Amino acid sequence: MSIFDPCKPINTTTPMKTVDTTGLRCPQPLIKLKEALQSLEEGNRLTVITDNDTSLKNMVAYLKENGVDPEVTSEGKLHTILTGRPSGDLEGVDPAAYCDNDTRANDYAVCIKSEWMGEGDPALGKLLMETFLENLKLQEQLPTHIVLYNSGVNLATRQSPVCSSLTELEELGTRIMLCGTCVDHYGVQYDIAVGMISNMVSLTEILASAGHVVYP
Amino acid sequence: MDKPFDLLSTIEYGGCSAKLPAELLSEVLKELPVVLDPKLMVDAGTHDDAGVYRLDGKRALIFTTDFFPPVCSDPFEFGEIAAANALSDIYAMGGSPLIALNLMMFSAEKIPLEVFGEILRGGNEKVTEAGALIVGGHTLDDHPPKYGLAVLGMVHPDQLITNAGAKPGDHLILTKRIGSGALVSGQKNGLAGPDEYRGAIEQMKQLNRAGAEMAAKYGISGMTDITGFGLAGHALKMAVASGVSLRIQAASVPLLPGAFRIFEKGSIPGATFRNREYTGDQVHFTRGVVYSMKMLMHDAQTSGGLFMSVNPDHVEDLVNDLKTSEPELSVAVIGEVLSKSPRRIYVE
Repeated sequence: MSIFDPCKPINTTTPMKTVDTTGLRCPQPLIKLKEALQSLEEGNRLTVITDNDTSLKNMVAYLKENGVDPEVTSEGKLHTILTGRPSGDLEGVDPAAYCDNDTRANDYAVCIKSEWMGEGDPALGKLLMETFLENLKLQEQLPTHIVLYNSGVNLATRQSPVCSSLTELEELGTRIMLCGTCVDHYGVQYDIAVGMISNMVSLTEILASAGHVVYP
Repeated sequence: MDKPFDLLSTIEYGGCSAKLPAELLSEVLKELPVVLDPKLMVDAGTHDDAGVYRLDGKRALIFTTDFFPPVCSDPFEFGEIAAANALSDIYAMGGSPLIALNLMMFSAEKIPLEVFGEILRGGNEKVTEAGALIVGGHTLDDHPPKYGLAVLGMVHPDQLITNAGAKPGDHLILTKRIGSGALVSGQKNGLAGPDEYRGAIEQMKQLNRAGAEMAAKYGISGMTDITGFGLAGHALKMAVASGVSLRIQAASVPLLPGAFRIFEKGSIPGATFRNREYTGDQVHFTRGVVYSMKMLMHDAQTSGGLFMSVNPDHVEDLVNDLKTSEPELSVAVIGEVLSKSPRRIYVE
């Protein structure tokens, strides 16, 4: 018998939704999980129960790849996943729309011609380059590409002080393109730690089609 | 009249694809003794599509096999698809098929015998279309059924094309749409439209012959066919074998209608997850490439297209020539070859 008690406090913990997928085989549990996530409100949590090891692995892989770290508890054959809403996975995206190549007027590429920013004292030039790239990654709009040529390619080696800034920019979605001839010229092909080693044909295309080009 | 037998009903509900995970395969293969023979032009070492054995200055044999459980309902079409898929390995090396053997696993206790005949008839029709001959075969009692071919082909040693020849600066061409794994999974889970599913079937039946002919004509530097390890997996194998990195524009990769929507719904086969796990950090995705597209890049293909690395000067002529000789193919330029960079594949 259930008694309605108006004095009982309303559940103040995070609202929770549960999806039971026991007995279902792959890919049904993932289909159910994605369905449930669509209607899950921001900040709420979802519990998914599965008895299929492969489905567990795949659902966790899906969540992790989309930026959520789910909690998994297992009791015998029964696994419970507790998760929030993944931020990375967009709903109802048109495959053609997510990665359009239109050059918008404010799209820009950064072209780095040497290890040094500006002319004059090389020690100062190196320091300026470090500061420039650190500030670049804080910009609201990031460059679509960073093109590195001549001694600029040395910035992409693992010994370079800006290696981590470039890696971060690459993770944020900027494409780092290196001049292959220059990499060979400086003999650093085995030290390159970030970016794609490309050629003049592609680099020219990038610079020619960018909305504008920034030369630090 | 009896309802036609549905081959898809023989395989496990939503069954994940039949291929052994790539990393397990590598682990087993590395324990085997390495075969060294000057006549052997391509061995298992580079994970290529087939073995190649030089007979003399003008002739080399290409030897390959592939077989798998049903990917569609109709037995005749399953035969056609399995045969087109097995023949594809010969084409991917730039050769032409000569003779083939049927490999069949079939339980007459569980499936009507006519189905057996229909599968063989479909296979035979495809092999005939390819200008080759079926000269025999072998059958085992097993369920669910599996079918495919062992194929012997020929190539001029100078025209042999492996996955180890991609050169920096080359452009990358793909000759079929991606998403056959998605459509088969979508069909099993009631998420594929009839036309969408039909589109996948028709594409899987297409021979890759025209691609092999173009290879000889335009001097393609590297080639492979896209099958169980997906576009990203086979691209990775090509990059490693060639000592290069590849850059692929996701928006240029042609998809089978329905494939993206099916993955958005979460109907993603287990093989896709295994392939994604295998490529791991070696494949870099630019932010903006959405999850379903990442996974479609890892979708296991049955009888997928050819993936070619081509000198940019020849790309336009080759694409036009391919489109003229095989109007049904969805030929697309999807990227370029880079010098070996920190990651093997860049998808943007």
